[in-house]
Amino acid sequence: MLIVDLVQSIVDGLLFGATYALIGIGFTLVFGVMHKINMAYAAASVGGAYAALRLITLIGGPAWASLLIAAAVGGLFGLLIYWLCFRFIPLSNPLATLMSTVGMFLLAEEIIVHTTDGMPQNYPVVVRGILDLGEFMIRGDLVFVFACALLAMVILLYLLYRTKLGMATRAVSQQPIAAQLVGIRLSHVNALTFVVTGMLGGFAGALIGSAVGLLSPLLVVPLTIKGLIVTVIGGLGSIPGAIIAGLLVGMAENVFQYFRGVTERDIYVMLLLFVFLVFRPGGIFSSTVKRD
Amino acid sequence: MTITRLIASSAVAAIVTAGTSFSVNAQEREVKLSGFGAMSGVVRSFGINSKAALEAAADEVNKAGGVKLGDGTKGKLVIEYFDDRCNAEEGISVARRMASSATLVGIGPTCSNVAEPLFGILQKKVGDAGDSGLQFPVFTDVAIKVGLAKISDWAFRNVPDEGAMYRALFQWIKKTQPDLKTVFGGVEEDFAHSRATWYAVMKEVAAKEGFEVKGEAKWLLADTNFTNQAREARRAAADIIAISAHPFTTCGMLKEMGRQGVKPKLVIGLTSSSSLETLQGCSAEAEAIIIPTSFAPVTPEAQAAAERAAKFNGSLDLHSGAAYENIAILKSVIESEGVMAKPDTVQADRAKIRNGLAKLTETKGLIGVSKRTPDREAVKPFLFVHAKSGKWEVLHTPTN
Repeated sequence: MLIVDLVQSIVDGLLFGATYALIGIGFTLVFGVMHKINMAYAAASVGGAYAALRLITLIGGPAWASLLIAAAVGGLFGLLIYWLCFRFIPLSNPLATLMSTVGMFLLAEEIIVHTTDGMPQNYPVVVRGILDLGEFMIRGDLVFVFACALLAMVILLYLLYRTKLGMATRAVSQQPIAAQLVGIRLSHVNALTFVVTGMLGGFAGALIGSAVGLLSPLLVVPLTIKGLIVTVIGGLGSIPGAIIAGLLVGMAENVFQYFRGVTERDIYVMLLLFVFLVFRPGGIFSSTVKRD
Repeated sequence: MTITRLIASSAVAAIVTAGTSFSVNAQEREVKLSGFGAMSGVVRSFGINSKAALEAAADEVNKAGGVKLGDGTKGKLVIEYFDDRCNAEEGISVARRMASSATLVGIGPTCSNVAEPLFGILQKKVGDAGDSGLQFPVFTDVAIKVGLAKISDWAFRNVPDEGAMYRALFQWIKKTQPDLKTVFGGVEEDFAHSRATWYAVMKEVAAKEGFEVKGEAKWLLADTNFTNQAREARRAAADIIAISAHPFTTCGMLKEMGRQGVKPKLVIGLTSSSSLETLQGCSAEAEAIIIPTSFAPVTPEAQAAAERAAKFNGSLDLHSGAAYENIAILKSVIESEGVMAKPDTVQADRAKIRNGLAKLTETKGLIGVSKRTPDREAVKPFLFVHAKSGKWEVLHTPTN
């Protein structure tokens, strides 16, 4: 029974880790392009999901439509965050944008709390079904989230390495001054990066809402923390790293909880982060490119 | 001459105005009461409902003529509400702010993790000159963790006695469904009230009533993944699952139990979850969950109070219902103790209110009479509700 439970914990953790991976990708993409952390990312993602839920409830429609609406709203939120927290803030000061996004994170969380009175909201299930393998169970919705994380990685890598926008983004990421000299508009590329990551964030927020079955302001802080841990463990700026790290963190959480209980679980996840910071500070897939 | 006349007429006007305002003040003084609780953060709904209940109750008192003060004049209740964000430091800061103002009583807080340290800064024994703690009465409506009022003589609570409620519930289950023999718990480990209610109340009471307690699954307040916990519940195969958690994780656990096909014969919830939040989060999964509560609109008074609170944009539940009752209790104490509500009698008035509250042996509530205990707690009437088709319905009214 121990082995069965352990395997089930690992599988559940890996699949749930896909939600962390989706959030981690957003953090890492912004860092990869601007070398800045957007602390408001998870809050905006949950905000996108809330907006989608409100719209779906208001106008009706299938549950899957909430994913698309959340992505669209997330893109708008991304642009808004760029304009409010990055566009007019001196990028040379690393603390300035960190603090502006922390402020935005708190603001977004409070807006959610005030518009919903902090009440949990039931989120419609996008993918139903459980694969029942006797002692083992695999949740269909989490497999869907996992597939979405992989798809997001493929699309983002395609965007980055096979399109003009991607080339411009990489140019801005690696040599912002040279990029400007060849006519690339820095603010334009940065804004587009925020729109793309915002869309992914909104989509991720809706998927997480569907997987959890609920939306609550309580999601914001844990998702931000998990997203940051995933970004560091995966390697700042690495999209495949964010996915692997997301799955790893999800699995580690479940396994530590299984062996040591829920009250010690987060201690071990933090220790895992410290292990990476000490022995592999660049993360699983450390990015080698440097910005000017 | 003209200037002299102008000055004279201005002086007369000023005297008349002052006199008029004095006579208005003399007839109707302000009796300041402060509510405090979470108006922001994830438990904001508690604060919103308590504030609405306090304002609705005060409005009702004022419309009926206000409160009679010690010198025979009428006082008008004025409610101020402070946000403590369910945070201990902010709660203490709010308490100090209230104590340094003209407020006579603080009604709150929302969270037990605020109430416990906050009661600790109040004077422990009344009249102890060596204790510099705040001499400020606090009359709690929401924070429900067992036995907190004994921390200070200035702390009073009008919260239900969960021990009595769950004892009655398990006794009723034993009597009406004798085939149910085993209980498995689910507990939010990092929330003071949930934890205390499972370990010190539900678990102990169930065992004492002859149920076999087959353990408990644990999670944290902000957890989103309940796969391990639902699996533990499935493996325990208990007849009853008792969830001592707030709506967000109660819903998370119920949803995961549904996914994993965990179907106990009965699900019991935490008192605080008998609210709109649970129904909004998971009405389908919460169907038939049974929760003991000290409020339901089952009497004409309770129905009227719920309607009044709704006009102030709040919903009356077991917590905000207590806030509503507190105003009525305070009105009778203010009148019986001869509170003056003058700027120079604030501390004396506070002492009178404290003494008045301490003297009470029973109070009239919205669904019946509550008893007051020597350690300043309430033994409130209660009933059992269950979720049915997205609503809370009364399932049983025990003879409390």
